[in-house]
Amino acid sequence: MRPPTMDLALSGLVKSFGESTAVDNVTLRIAAGELVALLGPSGCGKTTTLRMIAGLVQPTSGEVLIGGSRITHVPVHKRNIGMLFQNYALFPHMTVAQNVAFGLQMRRLRQSELREKVETALAMVQLKEYADRLPAALSGGQQQRVALARAVVIEPALLLLDEPMGALDKNLRENMQFEVRQIQKRLGITAVLVTHDQEEAMTMADRVVVMRDGRLEQVGTPKEVYESPVSRFVASFIGVSNFIQGSVVAADTTGTKMRLVCGTEALVSETGVTDGERLLSIRPESVMLRVATPGETPGLNEVIATVEHVVFKGQTTHVHMRMRDGATLLSNLSGTVASRLLPSLGAGTDVIASWSADRARVVLDS
Amino acid sequence: MTLASTADQSMANAKPRRGRQALRVSIGMILLLPALGFLLVFLVIPSLSLLSASVLTQSGSGDIGLPVTFANYDRLLFSSAYQKVVLRTMSISVWTSLISIVLAYPLAMVIAYGRPSLSRLTMVLVVAPLVVSVIVRCYGWQLLLGNNRAGVLNWLIALVFRNRATIKLMYTEWAVIIASVHVFLPLIVLPIATSLARINPSLVEAARMLGAPPWRAFLRVTLPLSVPGLTAGVTIVFALTASSFVTPQMLGGTNASMLGILLEQQAMTVFDWPMTGAIASVMVAIALCSNAASTWIIGLLTRRGQLGGRK
Ligand SMILES: Nc1ncnc2c1ncn2[C@@H]1O[C@H](COP(=O)(O)OP(=O)(O)OP(=O)(O)O)[C@@H](O)[C@H]1O
Ligand SMILES: [Mg+2]
Repeated sequence: MRPPTMDLALSGLVKSFGESTAVDNVTLRIAAGELVALLGPSGCGKTTTLRMIAGLVQPTSGEVLIGGSRITHVPVHKRNIGMLFQNYALFPHMTVAQNVAFGLQMRRLRQSELREKVETALAMVQLKEYADRLPAALSGGQQQRVALARAVVIEPALLLLDEPMGALDKNLRENMQFEVRQIQKRLGITAVLVTHDQEEAMTMADRVVVMRDGRLEQVGTPKEVYESPVSRFVASFIGVSNFIQGSVVAADTTGTKMRLVCGTEALVSETGVTDGERLLSIRPESVMLRVATPGETPGLNEVIATVEHVVFKGQTTHVHMRMRDGATLLSNLSGTVASRLLPSLGAGTDVIASWSADRARVVLDS
Repeated sequence: MTLASTADQSMANAKPRRGRQALRVSIGMILLLPALGFLLVFLVIPSLSLLSASVLTQSGSGDIGLPVTFANYDRLLFSSAYQKVVLRTMSISVWTSLISIVLAYPLAMVIAYGRPSLSRLTMVLVVAPLVVSVIVRCYGWQLLLGNNRAGVLNWLIALVFRNRATIKLMYTEWAVIIASVHVFLPLIVLPIATSLARINPSLVEAARMLGAPPWRAFLRVTLPLSVPGLTAGVTIVFALTASSFVTPQMLGGTNASMLGILLEQQAMTVFDWPMTGAIASVMVAIALCSNAASTWIIGLLTRRGQLGGRK
């Protein structure tokens, strides 16, 4: 049977390339069997972090621990980590079966056992009948499945995935995401996925780690980072959000009160917010609209805005507006609401945008 | 518009692709003609004439004609004096190739994977021997390898080990091998470096992550994938060594005579054209066979052990 799965811990991991710091003090604990996605814009240090875990890059400082033991200075080939590369990295001069067998040969398995394991692994990714083909004779999706079989057949303590679906088209990518996730769950392998596709991170991961300039910006479940982003960066990187400037005037155990730049006040059910200049972040689907009566002033959890243009998107209708302070505001109306409101939402119409207290978040303006 | 030109046009319209393709092919042929003509006049015809001479008989007056005979090949391949030269030529070429391969890989890896500055420096150092005339280079090796204390190498050995013994390299096969490796090394380093640079670096990383120590990753992934460069390089080195003339003449002396020297003697001193033809044909045959043999051996070595665990 499989050895018990292991947890992974990164402690104060730093990597500098000359003057620049690619990864800056990353500390993270990943539970056994968990799939964590490192998410962030290009150049934020995701790959470098992953390669430090793999041992392909030596950290400037900090430690990597698998199952509680330090492996920071263990050479790559002794770490027992499986990895999926964006370009598959299948050995072009070996057949599918030989590719899958490679890691087992390095472990000096007996012939009979080796053949059996290769067969099981290929069956797992439904490529048994392709065993004797060369990788060049496979489609991208099939190649990545071979790479997956090759990575898990060695029963790794950890599975690392660096944008493994990046080169696949959309449909195939979704299938592969599902398949990889199923196999990872079934085998119970601890996994780290690097991606800059927030949808991929949300669909596959137990937890999402948002990185920014080499540091961890926020760690949480996909739901947490989507619904409670800590900063403007996270809120706009994961999905789309509206930001209204303001300052926290009162905060207690029941909620937070903010004075917004447009003059109105907002009451947010979020607690534990410190005073100071902040942004109110509201997802477009949480913004409700009604046509303003002439001379109407907005009340609590409301702002006044002018419709600029309306875009019909099928399931939803996007209403682009501008607030009095010049900032933009977006509302995604669902079909039924849109059809009721739309006739009266011509460009130039003044509307009152509102939201419920539990749908808004106070975030840092950074 | 005349009738003829309309007909022309409609035909051109009917098969525009075929026509254009044919045009492109014929332009290609025309561009090839000068090179083909050159090869025909200066390579094919002389080769055929030598080849035919090799199986003919030369009369006392120097005329070449019938009867057809294989006596020259028989003499060259089976008489002990000539056979020795053939075998020595092959052994010098094999050793030169093997040593070149071993030396070439580290250099090629530095060129392919090293820091740009280091890579460029190595490249210049490797290519440098090619820009020096073969005669100058051989004089250089004569100075270095001289058999008495005047030879730089022996002088150094005497200095370091403080003994009177000298090693004898000059006028042996090893002098020829050393000098051949020196000059032909770039011709194998460059194709190997090109092959190495083409290998996706994540392949080696994948091998390492699957549990291969560096040397096994090299043997199982880097080496097999650099075979195109390796075979090209080995073929060139082997063929050039086997056909070299100046180097064995200046460094090998009579002890390390090679086919090239024999050829020159037969052609320029003895004027035995049938024998010259036979030697030339054998040299070409050696070069061609070496290509086939190295391709086969390398293929065999890299394919072995791709699948299968501990027996
Ligand atoms: N070998 C290296 N030498 C110098 N700088 C490097 C090296 N590798 C990475 N960097 C730098 O480190 C930073 C982080 O790179 P990294 O590849 O980890 O980003 P990433 O988050 O994976 O980005 P992407 O989404 O584009 O793959 C970048 O600024 C990059 O230029
Ligand atoms: Mg990357």
